[in-house]
Amino acid sequence: MNRRDIAFVVSALIIAAALAVVPSITVKESVINLLVLVYIYVMMASSWNIIGGIAGQVNLGHAAFFGLGSLVSRILWTKGWPLSVSMILGALVPVAFALIIGAPSFKLRGVYFAIGTLAMAQILFITTRNLFPMISSLPTEALATYSLAPRYYVALGMTLLTVLVVFWLSRSRWGLGMVAVREEANAAESLGVSALQHKLLALCLSAFFAGLAGGVFAYYSAGYYLFFPFFPTWTFDAVMATYIGGTGTVIGPIIGAVFYVLVKEILALRFVELHPFIFGTLFILVVLFLPGGMIQIWSRLRRLFRRAAPAPSEEKAMSESDMVHDRPAVE
Amino acid sequence: MPLLKVEGLSKSFGGLQAVSGVSFQVAEGEILGLIGPNGSGKTTLLNLITGCLKPNAGAIWFDGENIVNLPCHQICRRGIARTFQLTKPFLNITALQNVMVGRMYGRQPASSMKAAEEEALALLERVGMGDKAHTLVKDLSLMQRKKVELARALAAKPKMLLLDEMMAGLNPAEVDDAMHLIREIRSWNVTLIVVEHIVKAILGLCDRVVVLNMGEKIAEGTPQAVVHDPHVIEVYLGKVYA
Repeated sequence: MNRRDIAFVVSALIIAAALAVVPSITVKESVINLLVLVYIYVMMASSWNIIGGIAGQVNLGHAAFFGLGSLVSRILWTKGWPLSVSMILGALVPVAFALIIGAPSFKLRGVYFAIGTLAMAQILFITTRNLFPMISSLPTEALATYSLAPRYYVALGMTLLTVLVVFWLSRSRWGLGMVAVREEANAAESLGVSALQHKLLALCLSAFFAGLAGGVFAYYSAGYYLFFPFFPTWTFDAVMATYIGGTGTVIGPIIGAVFYVLVKEILALRFVELHPFIFGTLFILVVLFLPGGMIQIWSRLRRLFRRAAPAPSEEKAMSESDMVHDRPAVE
Repeated sequence: MPLLKVEGLSKSFGGLQAVSGVSFQVAEGEILGLIGPNGSGKTTLLNLITGCLKPNAGAIWFDGENIVNLPCHQICRRGIARTFQLTKPFLNITALQNVMVGRMYGRQPASSMKAAEEEALALLERVGMGDKAHTLVKDLSLMQRKKVELARALAAKPKMLLLDEMMAGLNPAEVDDAMHLIREIRSWNVTLIVVEHIVKAILGLCDRVVVLNMGEKIAEGTPQAVVHDPHVIEVYLGKVYA
């Protein structure tokens, strides 16, 4: 690890520690609820980013992993299994599912892969709606003792884990191979990178953390329709948050998810009917003018300042060692 | 034993016979030239050797092993690397990261990212791109991209390197530099197959030349013998000059 990597990990831990004291300084449940939602979105965007941003395979079936994760965790947990075991299995079942669908769906490329994964997720959504049409509520005694704080900490901890793993991945050999496959699969193969292996690994990691987010959702929610986490909205929200923040980067999906949830909440309160319209417009504007996402604002500002006063070359090297800044959003 | 032995290799795309029944050998340490008019099957032949395409018939023996059914990335790990005629760089990462891919995944991969970075930097310096190491490849010119691609292929530590028209578009001084570099690569115990249209490079570099026309091998021999072969002159210039 170089200085910059250590700085990232340390600041992530400091931010997490600062967020950890929130429940003890506020009694407002709305703040805690909003933050849990932010955490789930950060997990969803960061996990989508592994397959969609780093490995460059636009997967539109992400909700399937989230849904499976929540379904498995919720059923096991409400049947009396320990929470930890339920959540781990809730993350592993989507991985198994990813392995099963990965091999055939990676025969498809580009837009066909996107459509194939979307169709797969819709099939799972409809099947779950038919099999589990009921609301899953916590037992009365559990509801009576329901407390937000432990749910908040689980969500925060899992989010920190997700971000740190994505960070590790982006600095690792595997991450480099995934980026190579994204950029030019044939050239990557000719250099010894197995494209299928890297895509499968990316999909499995993505499924694991989306499943974990599903587990957080299952633990957090007092009552919901079991098929609700399979809604395609969960996919599109994750995709949009990632693109708005910056695909392929570690920080982009985090910024995107925070921004997305906050703006969505504000817009949903002020313009109840119009907010999807406003959001769609915003998404189009980002893709058109900031194809690298909000994180591009930062690198553009840097470039502007560098032009004004040429920085030493070492600094330039460091700013460009991030594996993916300035990547075009749509190919 | 030859390092590479190609036997009766054939490949067709629908009704088009791109390569038909081609056989040749390359000895260790040799520079083999591969020439032929446009569309004669040179690039297809390279794609077959590197496993990017699978042949309809024939065998490819590399280092005593039939590699014909191995996937592309396995063939690279066994020691065959290449550059592309139409460059295929990883555009949105730096030149250094491009080369690191070869160093982390090719034959005898580096043990850590740090080690790969140092070796990749040394290779970029050798091809004259040291000062561009931290530039995104999409901001490089075509010539610079070709150099990055060469460094990337060398980073895979190949026993055999296939260069697909690397010198196309270079001016005479640059061709001299490139020829010097290729000789140096050979001195690192790398066997080369060079697809090239520049006659000066073929005559000056190659130990032997294989000539393809319409997917078939029509001549093989020393560069001097091949360029004076009436059949070869005929396929390039027409019967009147043969």
